[in-house]
Amino acid sequence: MNDMRIVERDVNTQKAKITARGVQVHYGTTHALKDVNVDILANTVTAFIGPSGCGKSTFLRCLNRMNDTVASARVSGEILIDGENIYDKRVDPVQLRAKVGMVFQKPNPFPKSIYDNVAYGPKIHGMTRNKAELDEIVEKALRKAALWNEAKDRLNSPGTGLSGGQQQRLCIARAIATAPEVLLMDEPCSALDPIATAQVEELIDELRASFSVVIVTHSMQQAARVSQRTAFFHLGNLVEYGETGTIFTNPSDPRTESYISGRIG
Amino acid sequence: MTDATASGLPDARPQGSSSLLQQDALMKRRNAAEARFKFYGIAAISVSLVTLCVMLWTIFSDGVSAFRQASLELTVTLDAERLDPQGDRSLESLSKVTTIGYGNLLTAALNDYMAERNISVEGVSPKQVGEFISRDAPARLRNMVLADPELIGQTIRFGAFASGRIDGYMKGRVTMASAALDSNITPEQLQLADRLIEAGVLKSAFNWRFLTNPDASDQRPESAGLGIAIIGSLYMMFLVAIMVLPIGVAASIYLEEFAPKNKWTDIIEVNISNLAAVPSIVYGILGLAIFINFAKLPASAPIVGALVLTLMTLPTIIIATRASLRAVPPSIRDAALGVGASKMQTVFHHVLPLAAPGIMTGTILGLASALGETAPLLLIGMVAFVANYPSSPLEGGFFDPATALPVQVYSWASRSDPAFIERSSGAIIVLLAFLLVMNILAIVLRRRFERRW
Ligand SMILES: Nc1ncnc2c1ncn2[C@@H]1O[C@H](COP(=O)(O)OP(=O)(O)O)[C@@H](O)[C@H]1O
Ligand SMILES: [Mg+2]
Repeated sequence: MNDMRIVERDVNTQKAKITARGVQVHYGTTHALKDVNVDILANTVTAFIGPSGCGKSTFLRCLNRMNDTVASARVSGEILIDGENIYDKRVDPVQLRAKVGMVFQKPNPFPKSIYDNVAYGPKIHGMTRNKAELDEIVEKALRKAALWNEAKDRLNSPGTGLSGGQQQRLCIARAIATAPEVLLMDEPCSALDPIATAQVEELIDELRASFSVVIVTHSMQQAARVSQRTAFFHLGNLVEYGETGTIFTNPSDPRTESYISGRIG
Repeated sequence: MTDATASGLPDARPQGSSSLLQQDALMKRRNAAEARFKFYGIAAISVSLVTLCVMLWTIFSDGVSAFRQASLELTVTLDAERLDPQGDRSLESLSKVTTIGYGNLLTAALNDYMAERNISVEGVSPKQVGEFISRDAPARLRNMVLADPELIGQTIRFGAFASGRIDGYMKGRVTMASAALDSNITPEQLQLADRLIEAGVLKSAFNWRFLTNPDASDQRPESAGLGIAIIGSLYMMFLVAIMVLPIGVAASIYLEEFAPKNKWTDIIEVNISNLAAVPSIVYGILGLAIFINFAKLPASAPIVGALVLTLMTLPTIIIATRASLRAVPPSIRDAALGVGASKMQTVFHHVLPLAAPGIMTGTILGLASALGETAPLLLIGMVAFVANYPSSPLEGGFFDPATALPVQVYSWASRSDPAFIERSSGAIIVLLAFLLVMNILAIVLRRRFERRW
């Protein structure tokens, strides 16, 4: 993999947006995540890679406490966002999720109109005072998600009637409409065709300007294309974390190297 | 597949020897098995269809006649001297004349008519002519006069129900042979009936009063109707619907979406399934003990019936509702939670609307089964003979004695006069019509509100 060309990147060196310390997750008796420590930077795309079942989604779901909805899941350790522990007793996960948006593997628009899909978050968070403001937020989110041109004439038609790629961009628009600071994406392109994938990847790069993006992907090419930082997970451990270029060209851990070169996975 | 690679190519199927144009022995066996299975399926469905058809045919052939009724179109002179001996038209003196007096008037009217037209049959006395007229007719005529004393002295046209035997003769239930053995009617009277039919005074027509009249005593099946039973059933369905839907849906949402999964909720869950399987008569005993003996609610009242049926239907509705909540894809919940909706918002904005068609269908089907329920209502006294209509709901009608359609079917079926058996089948037809309407409603609602995602 040493001959793989990694484009020079302007890696941000700001301070950490998310800090995880000693994060452990158990599902019943399964120890799914073992002592994960990581600093995720602001305005950076961070990719989580690793073989199937290694705990990438589990860790991602810790970051907006979606694991709270899984009855058997137990999370320990600390995750700080802007210095605040999101597992503190005083934190309401509902409020947290307005700050940390999420896009899921399978596009899951609400069976409502395109407009209502995007407007739902701002509405429930009381972000607007009138229809005009809401219209503006919806338009901005759809533009950011590169869906405005396709959707502007059919805002009242159902979101479920869009194509797979459009649906996923609608879900991205829905997630960014609540003005989150972090955007989590769990294999957002795995249900999409190559053209739609390229559109979403392009979008992710643009979103970096406004959010910290964390993306789980099973495609190493995708990680290389879109991310500045990469974390490699293996059997519940965070094996290696660093600049994407370094991880792909010069991994320090033998397990990373064998995964990159296709020997495990 | 690892075995195959270890030992080279699998060699179970002989290569090269077979033509695709010809089925091999194994394929023939597989196809035969499939054909057999299809045959069993079709046979099972045919048996149930035949049974259903036989059942419907019996009910309809027995029951359709309940909707027709023979009546005599009489011209009655309301003789002032007989109906108002004191001549002051006061309600007090008018009500001194009993139905017997009115009966004599009607008998005279029919005899006069026959004399006018020269209709007579050897061996039928004027009194026996009077037996043609239902005992219901004098009572109705009396009520008419009491309601409007102006009628006295006038000559009016009055449609009097023919008695049950004559009605039965016109429907083929009573024959010359059966009349010979019957102390209530003679073959000569039947001959007279033929003459009256010819003359056009005795006719059979659609009988709305079967749907509106209250129940009647054993002596006059011809005037027995379903009025009170229909009102009672409608009152109960209304009450059950407004009680069972909120309670059932709230309980289901709590159990499905909010309740922690621990041994208490497990126990509750098992008990709900068990309650759904408890025989309905047990709910009747429960209702008798709690609502009537303990809470002192009136027996035979729709409110008690509705409470019992609510308890009985609740487990079914909870199970159906939970199933439709569970059928909403988890991705919708994830999506809502992911944008920061609270649990409550997730349920009420997204899950419930998607589950609504299923909930409505389940509720309507639960109501339909409650509508047909008999046993618990017998225990709380809804089988009692009720002669007065319950008042409107606003005037406390839910607490007035009433009966219910399936109970009416039961009580008519247990009476001896065959005329009641016919009415029993007629009541089943009405009950089936109600059930059909409810099931169609369930299908329409499902079609109308079902949304795809
Ligand atoms: N809801 C759950 N209940 C029990 N075990 C789970 C659950 N979700 C994930 N796991 C287990 O946790 C481990 C990590 O899963 P996951 O984070 O989904 O892996 P991936 O890296 O493929 O996203 C796996 O062994 C999986 O079986
Ligand atoms: Mg995953």
